[in-house]
Amino acid sequence: MKVTITVNGTPYTRDVEPRTLLAYFLREHCGLTGTHVGCDTSSCGCCVAVLDGQTAVKTCTMFAVQADGHEILTVEGLAAGGALHPIQQAFSDQHGLHCGYCTPGMMLTTVALLKHTPAPTEAQIREGLAGNLCRCTGYNNIVKAVQQAADVLRQPAAATK
Amino acid sequence: MAEARQVPEVAAPAVAQGNAAYAWPTHPTYMGTDVQRIDGPDKVTGRAKYSYDIQRPNMLYGRIVRSPHPRARVVAIDLTMARQAPGVKAALAVVEPNAILMFQGEEVAAVAAATEEQARDAARLVKVQYEVLPPLTSVEQAMSPDAPKVFPDGNVREGAAEETGDLAAGFKAAAHVVEQTYNTQVQTHVSLETHGCVCEWDGDKLTAWVSTQAVHGTREGFAQALKIPQANVRVITQYMGGGFGSKFAPDAQGIICANLAKQAGAPVHLMLDRKEEHLATGNRPSAYAKIRAGVSADGMLTAFDAQTWGTGGAGVGAGFPLPYIYQFPNRRRQHKDVYINAGGARAMRAPGHPQGCFITEVLMDELADLVKLDPVDFRMKNLPPDAPDARWRAYFPIAAKLFGWDKRHPTGDATPGPIKHGFGCSANRWGGGGRGSHAHCEILPDGGVIMRCGTQDIGTGTRTLVSIVTAETLGLPIDAVNTEIGDSLYPFSGGSGGSTTAASVTPAIRVTAVKALDALKAKVAPKLGVPPADLVASDGRLHARNDRAKGMTWKEACRTLGAEPIAVDGEWQPGLSASGTSGVQMAEVEVDTETGVSKVTRLVCVQDCGLIVDKLTAESQVIGGVLFGVNYALFEDRILDRNTGQMVNPNMEWYLIGGPSDVPEITAHLVDQPERGVIGLGEPPAVATAAAIANAIANATGVRLRSLPMTPDKVLAALEQQRAGGTR
Ligand code: FES
Ligand code: FES
Repeated sequence: MKVTITVNGTPYTRDVEPRTLLAYFLREHCGLTGTHVGCDTSSCGCCVAVLDGQTAVKTCTMFAVQADGHEILTVEGLAAGGALHPIQQAFSDQHGLHCGYCTPGMMLTTVALLKHTPAPTEAQIREGLAGNLCRCTGYNNIVKAVQQAADVLRQPAAATK
Repeated sequence: MAEARQVPEVAAPAVAQGNAAYAWPTHPTYMGTDVQRIDGPDKVTGRAKYSYDIQRPNMLYGRIVRSPHPRARVVAIDLTMARQAPGVKAALAVVEPNAILMFQGEEVAAVAAATEEQARDAARLVKVQYEVLPPLTSVEQAMSPDAPKVFPDGNVREGAAEETGDLAAGFKAAAHVVEQTYNTQVQTHVSLETHGCVCEWDGDKLTAWVSTQAVHGTREGFAQALKIPQANVRVITQYMGGGFGSKFAPDAQGIICANLAKQAGAPVHLMLDRKEEHLATGNRPSAYAKIRAGVSADGMLTAFDAQTWGTGGAGVGAGFPLPYIYQFPNRRRQHKDVYINAGGARAMRAPGHPQGCFITEVLMDELADLVKLDPVDFRMKNLPPDAPDARWRAYFPIAAKLFGWDKRHPTGDATPGPIKHGFGCSANRWGGGGRGSHAHCEILPDGGVIMRCGTQDIGTGTRTLVSIVTAETLGLPIDAVNTEIGDSLYPFSGGSGGSTTAASVTPAIRVTAVKALDALKAKVAPKLGVPPADLVASDGRLHARNDRAKGMTWKEACRTLGAEPIAVDGEWQPGLSASGTSGVQMAEVEVDTETGVSKVTRLVCVQDCGLIVDKLTAESQVIGGVLFGVNYALFEDRILDRNTGQMVNPNMEWYLIGGPSDVPEITAHLVDQPERGVIGLGEPPAVATAAAIANAIANATGVRLRSLPMTPDKVLAALEQQRAGGTR
């Protein structure tokens, strides 16, 4: 089946099998390997991308054909013009990562979280990221990273991001 | 069957004896401060390529056919249909007919095809005929007298009894005796990046991008299994998504991948899925202990008599230290390894210690209750003597103060209502320590610095540590150093396990950087008219010790090299690192006695960290270790069907790992002991958490859980039993 999915602003038209999952479309058909797969069963959140600028989706649980005609944001599209996105900067600054395998999914979930909850409390951050698992960090620094990103994004200069 | 590749605890001195030539700086610029990870930007942009992310021209996808049965004989394997399936470029049998398979998930055959989907389709077309044999599905069954004899040397291997002191006298001196059985579950590693690799042949040379904790060990493993020279193998691990002790070798899937790539004449990508990961890539063995222990009226431990057993699966041992830390003058222990038809154990974050710690520390609280002593006071009375690697006597009070231990109520929260609060504590120890790393440093005529070491960063921050030590030694900014690791072409360094990496690698880097700097000083000294021994490197300059102006910039100094860079080798030397560590943890829980759900609300960890290289990564490593312990305490459990022996939760939906909302903020208090040199940190913080939580649950509810994980059903059952007339 032919699908056209706009990933990080670039339209990708590809012929895919109906069963092709969005995660593998991104990784194997678009070569965007920053979207990781940790479980394949919607449990870990490694594969999260943002759909139409609004919703965090687990791409291991969505068919590529379901995203036909939609826009997807992945980790590769976060940095605008070479400068790190405030969320990326925050995860790097706050050491919100060890092995980093969970990080793209964490950050993309954060994009959607902060869109709907721009000034989250610690509890809201932990609830908001409840579907993203990390085996390494213990989450302290991930929470701090989201707090830093929220603070930066709320400042007027960052409003365009 | 092979033993688990355990990373042994290293027996090195507990205090660095000093190494004058390469001594750590006394007033460091970076060491011991919060230094951001140098690979942070690569990881947050998706530029970091894990083995899973490697894509090579014409790459195929591999898929393994595994035994669905815990025990079976292979009658026949037919690859014909698989070979004819669309996209298939290679297919092979991993075992011969008549092979006996000993666990669910054991490798039987494999295929490689152009796409991942085609490989899965083809794997389904491999026809394997099995004769299903009755499996051993639990330790209870394997130990029963009428169990089928499945393992050639018996289902149970009994170790020699260990005995010290006079047990009868010990029990005679006891005013109280506890007699109980404790147990811990099987835990799997659940690295978020699964095991696997990409293999590519160029003639008879193999390049493998492997998710491994040991690029050199894995090179050796490939060479041995494929019967090719080690020199023909290159193993690369630039980034990896965790290992926790399970990734030291190519394993079956690595060798299969290399063979598929050879047969297909194309690179093959073979990464396991989550189910394969749970079944076949290792686990922490279970532990059981039936204990009688005595305490005197004044709260001194007198006697300890234990029968212990556990399973590491098919043919792998299940040892653990017991009793843990505390001194029972008279003791006896008899241990049995029990084999069942399940995937074999491997080293896992502090092998053996969480088991031994949980069992001993829960027992300690039971004994403390009998003599009506506060758990901390009771422990303080029975600790071994203070030593650099055994500082619990100092750490218990520090933790108690940080935590507010004085607000602990006696066992059983008397507050009305279903929600009960409680405090618990426990202690840990670990070996760790350094050995045998090598490095190579180049100082280039344009001022560039390259430090190469064949270690790997499994997520802990090793790459950053290499840069920190190099920059510190050469007086340069951290980003002036090009750190190259994760490649078996670089000088040998051991596997990243057993909390040995920092203590092995950082001394090697220090020695190598000092040697490189000495070589540069020798070149520059005549030009400055300063003897080389009087030159120092700081703030991007090479200058006379007492006259900063008498010198030149780093770049100018390097320009004097002309065309020939400095290139020196160095290796680990004693005196810069040490072995052994101790720590204490305290937990607060909130237990809902109506639902049985326990929530950890506070965790404090006091941990000896030796000489801290990067405070940021050290602290975070400790916090992550504590989370590992929370998961072990409350959530994780490999469950086998008692009839079929098949794992019923081989995923992340029913094999539970705590998410951000399941754990509290964890407080890590690092005790800096620079005189000890660098020590390891990966394992120790993961050890004590489960016991502290168990003791907190008992303090909250007044009922004692002696079995991990402490799931709501166990809490409710214990409460029910208490209502029915006591827990003993
Ligand atoms: S890979 Fe999609 S949630 Fe785990
Ligand atoms: S940093 Fe390793 S899984 Fe999150």
